[in-house]
Amino acid sequence: MSFVVANGLTHWFGRDLVLEGVDLVVDTGEHMAVLGDNGAGKTTLLRVLATALRPTAGRLQIAGLDAFREKRRLRHHVGYLAHAPGLYPALSAVENLEFFCDLQEVSRTRVEEALDIVAMTSVAHRRADQLSRGMQQRVAIARAILHEPRLLVLDEPDASLGEDAAELLTRVMQGKTVIMATHDRALANRLCQRTLELRHGRSHGTATRLHVVT
Amino acid sequence: MNPVRVAIAVARKDLKSEWRTRELVPALAQFVVLALLIGNFGFQVDTHNASAIAPGILWLALVFAGLVAFGRTFAAEREQASLEAMLMTPASPVAIFAGKAMAATVLLVLCEVVLLPALTLFFGTPLGGDVVAAVLLATVGMAALGVLFAAIVARVRARELLLPLLTLPLWIPFIVAGGQAVQSAMGLPGSYQEAMGLLLDFDILFVVLTSLAARFVLDE
Amino acid sequence: MSRHERWAAGAVALMLVAGAAIFLYAPTDYLQGPVQRIFYLHVSSAIAAYGCFTVVLIGGLVYLRRESLVADRFARAGAVVGVVFTTVTLVMGMLWAKPIWGTYWTWDARLTSTLVLWMIYAGYLLVRRLADPGRQAARIAAVVGIFGFVDVPVVHFSVTWWRTQHPGPVVVNDALPPEMLATFLLTMACTLALAAVLIAIRYRIETLSDERMHMAEEVKVMTAPEPRMAP
Repeated sequence: MSFVVANGLTHWFGRDLVLEGVDLVVDTGEHMAVLGDNGAGKTTLLRVLATALRPTAGRLQIAGLDAFREKRRLRHHVGYLAHAPGLYPALSAVENLEFFCDLQEVSRTRVEEALDIVAMTSVAHRRADQLSRGMQQRVAIARAILHEPRLLVLDEPDASLGEDAAELLTRVMQGKTVIMATHDRALANRLCQRTLELRHGRSHGTATRLHVVT
Repeated sequence: MNPVRVAIAVARKDLKSEWRTRELVPALAQFVVLALLIGNFGFQVDTHNASAIAPGILWLALVFAGLVAFGRTFAAEREQASLEAMLMTPASPVAIFAGKAMAATVLLVLCEVVLLPALTLFFGTPLGGDVVAAVLLATVGMAALGVLFAAIVARVRARELLLPLLTLPLWIPFIVAGGQAVQSAMGLPGSYQEAMGLLLDFDILFVVLTSLAARFVLDE
Repeated sequence: MSRHERWAAGAVALMLVAGAAIFLYAPTDYLQGPVQRIFYLHVSSAIAAYGCFTVVLIGGLVYLRRESLVADRFARAGAVVGVVFTTVTLVMGMLWAKPIWGTYWTWDARLTSTLVLWMIYAGYLLVRRLADPGRQAARIAAVVGIFGFVDVPVVHFSVTWWRTQHPGPVVVNDALPPEMLATFLLTMACTLALAAVLIAIRYRIETLSDERMHMAEEVKVMTAPEPRMAP
């Protein structure tokens, strides 16, 4: 069963062609890695897939719904981790998450659960600007899963995470459909069943289980 | 979550952040006091012309403080990509806009709490309930416009140039009516009631318009 | 000759006819002298500028409702042509004011709201220039255009009201003798024709510019079938 179906995704920023006719299919429960160098268009592609950005052309279907027409309804199903953590610096981790719990219309008990999954319970009450980049990243991941979305779109979730990145992400991605961008091919191989190569905005094919000699 | 509660949650979050960092309000307060001092020396104020000049200085200081305050409402959001995260929730963009406008209004009102007594102190002008009411009424409409246009320029280069250029023409009606209201309250000729009536009309008009426009400006 | 060139030639010819009427047909004003002739073009430009502004408004509203690229192009064209006519209006107004009123500028309702009109246009064009081109720029520019359109009469009204609080010298408007009225109507018609031609030409330029920037027409939003897989 296809959960995400994209057809001909194309995006221009002014005169720069950032995405060119990208197709992809992700089945329910499947984890897909988007690989490519900096500037290949990974972040733009992920923003489109998370419905944060409307592409210049192309079609996108998520959970059987047209992603552009039904954007509001799809919000419940999609959790997005942006390239930067984007926390409110003067608020604590808990306060950041409680605010988003309210906006997401989920119970505040989820805050504790999410912090537990990302192992940030000990620093829950510290101000966000006093957390290390890796800790902020974890809290941002927690924010993305507060509303228990069925689809996770993660932009370089492993950045700054450290050694237990793979374990943490395995826990987070458990049972969900995931599209994640990363530079780390070994991690991609470990966590994902499918990969998409992106070069200069163009898809250079998908492969299953990329075998990498580490 | 119903829109009113979303707006209140957003406003509380903004005000909590400002309270913890305490950057903006002290800077604004300092700015308005300086504006009064400069006005005093620049206009050669004495007891005869004080009440004629004071309303003008009031609005001058308020407009510039407003530009700074509203310019900041979206600056931080943009840098942190948190506005995008908010827009990805079910919360309606209009409610988010309303929350930010409310928070910006509160911050500007705090600035006015410093400005008005300072004006009375330096210029000897009366500080009655009607002066305060006029300033507050004008602040509402100016905040709605200021925050909407701050959201517009947040995504654009050269925002420091663009915000005043776009916002000032829209604030002129408020400055004209508000200026008249304050002048009348300070004893100069003109109708206070008419001025306040106009301010109310402008508030309603622009609050409705900005609310309608919010979703086109904030959402992708 | 392409059709745009023909229209342009026609518009220029019409303006020459209007010019002839202004200088050869209309009588010299008794009180103001030859300077008064500026009035024909000055007021016509003002009306053309407001007309262009209406194009910006309608283009913006249609764009927000339907994301029509055509509507957005008309809005862009209207803004460029409108700022030209507003500048002409302001400059001619100042040239006329100096000999007649003794000052280049006064803050009466009409002048103030025309200046506001100019500022809004300038802001509109700057926003378009500085924002990332595409959907977002078109949306926020549409909002700016709509607010500007509402603001101009509000400003006009505010200043008029303020003058009622502080009565000042009244500017006497004489009734126009028939030759002057006829000249004015002719000039206005020719100026509006010129404005329409300029907008049409500018529209074409915007279309070409869009094509060069590969702006797609409306994003096709249909439910996606299974795509063909890349090899």
